[in-house]
Amino acid sequence: MGKKIQINKEFVDIMPQDYLDLVETGTFETPNRGWKDFGTATELIAEHSLCAGCPESIAFRHIMASIPNPEDTVMVGSTGCTSLVFPMIAVHNIHSLFGNQNAIATGLKRALAVRFPDRVKDVIVLAGDGATVDIGLDMTLQSWFRKERFTTICFDNELYANTGGQESGLMQKGFLAKMAPVGKKFEKVRLPEIARESGCDYVAIMTASKPSLVEKVIKQAVLIAREVGPTYIQIYTPCILEIGKQSMEGLQEMRTSEAPGERFKFREFISPEAQSFLDGLAEKKKAEKLATSGATS
Amino acid sequence: MYNVAEVNAEECVAQKGCRLCIMYCPEANCIQMDTTKMVATIVESRCKGCELCVVVCDAAKHNAIKMVAR
Ligand SMILES: Cc1ncc(C[n+]2csc(CCOP(=O)(O)OP(=O)(O)O)c2C)c(N)n1
Ligand code: SF4
Ligand code: SF4
Ligand code: SF4
Ligand SMILES: [Mg+2]
Repeated sequence: MGKKIQINKEFVDIMPQDYLDLVETGTFETPNRGWKDFGTATELIAEHSLCAGCPESIAFRHIMASIPNPEDTVMVGSTGCTSLVFPMIAVHNIHSLFGNQNAIATGLKRALAVRFPDRVKDVIVLAGDGATVDIGLDMTLQSWFRKERFTTICFDNELYANTGGQESGLMQKGFLAKMAPVGKKFEKVRLPEIARESGCDYVAIMTASKPSLVEKVIKQAVLIAREVGPTYIQIYTPCILEIGKQSMEGLQEMRTSEAPGERFKFREFISPEAQSFLDGLAEKKKAEKLATSGATS
Repeated sequence: MYNVAEVNAEECVAQKGCRLCIMYCPEANCIQMDTTKMVATIVESRCKGCELCVVVCDAAKHNAIKMVAR
């Protein structure tokens, strides 16, 4: 049991078993936590109401397993399908008004720095494409222009899923949806490129098909945001319901969309400052490894 | 009636390191590792019946999971 996450002894006998499991085997204060803990440790998500097979659920699991310091992290969500998961996670989180998430995160990150000057506090925004790119675009961009030190994750399902399938800025050109029957007339907004040009020190575009890659990207993004500048991750989490896929077809849809030449082929942008920070981390790890192997031999 | 996943312990190769269903099940804390028997185990009350675990297990030719009615 970690030091920061404890259960009040007076409540032990009345708390549900799920809660006790979380305190007992949840991976708080666990260095090198990751998806490898699945199946043996209690995950930081409880049952939620996303559709069966929804890739947003898969991505959410991988992210919650990967964030480096869940006990010192505050997440900011927005309206959309993801807001059905936020009340069920074991990390402090704020539900912002639709589109306001990056403005809320800005104030939060600054307030946490004042309130806890001696503690590292990570802020992570997680919102849909409608919240990030359409209604919240102003707040998204302004936070990057100001080089605010937090991570923005966009669950890109290329439409407004929660309200029945309206057109979004990240929808592909020509796509037809239930509530967008004419077909989109414009190109998918190139937010990763805009992020790079707007001040982000780390940008990645990907799908949630490989837990180890999600883990690596999330860890890098959070650490770079802590030490260097804003980071942005765009993850394809197809809305199987709105694109007419069966519940078991989400993984294949992600794999197809990340093939070479496809729109979600993995791409990463790392600024020179972020790169030298990552190099420093790698050096440190190497030195630690050498020291421990030297100690045992 | 609901469809839920069921693991055939005889066919599951988790002792050889397979974790595919555990990695890809969309639901958290739904497929657990039985560390004494070394087999994947479904927590039925959390299973939404999506069949993704069947897809990944079958694709790796382990064919250890089937859907059952409850
Ligand atoms: C201020 C405000 N405007 C509009 C809405 C209605 N609304 C709820 S969810 C949603 C779309 C969400 O789309 P997205 O951000 O892509 O998330 P998804 O559901 O696709 O994951 C909208 C427009 C709202 N709740 N609040
Ligand atoms: S509507 Fe789409 S995005 Fe929302 S939970 Fe269902 S499948 Fe997932
Ligand atoms: S994917 Fe199949 S073989 Fe692998 S752990 Fe799961 S049930 Fe066992
Ligand atoms: S059917 Fe879906 S929810 Fe149920 S165990 Fe398999 S992957 Fe998980
Ligand atoms: Mg969306």
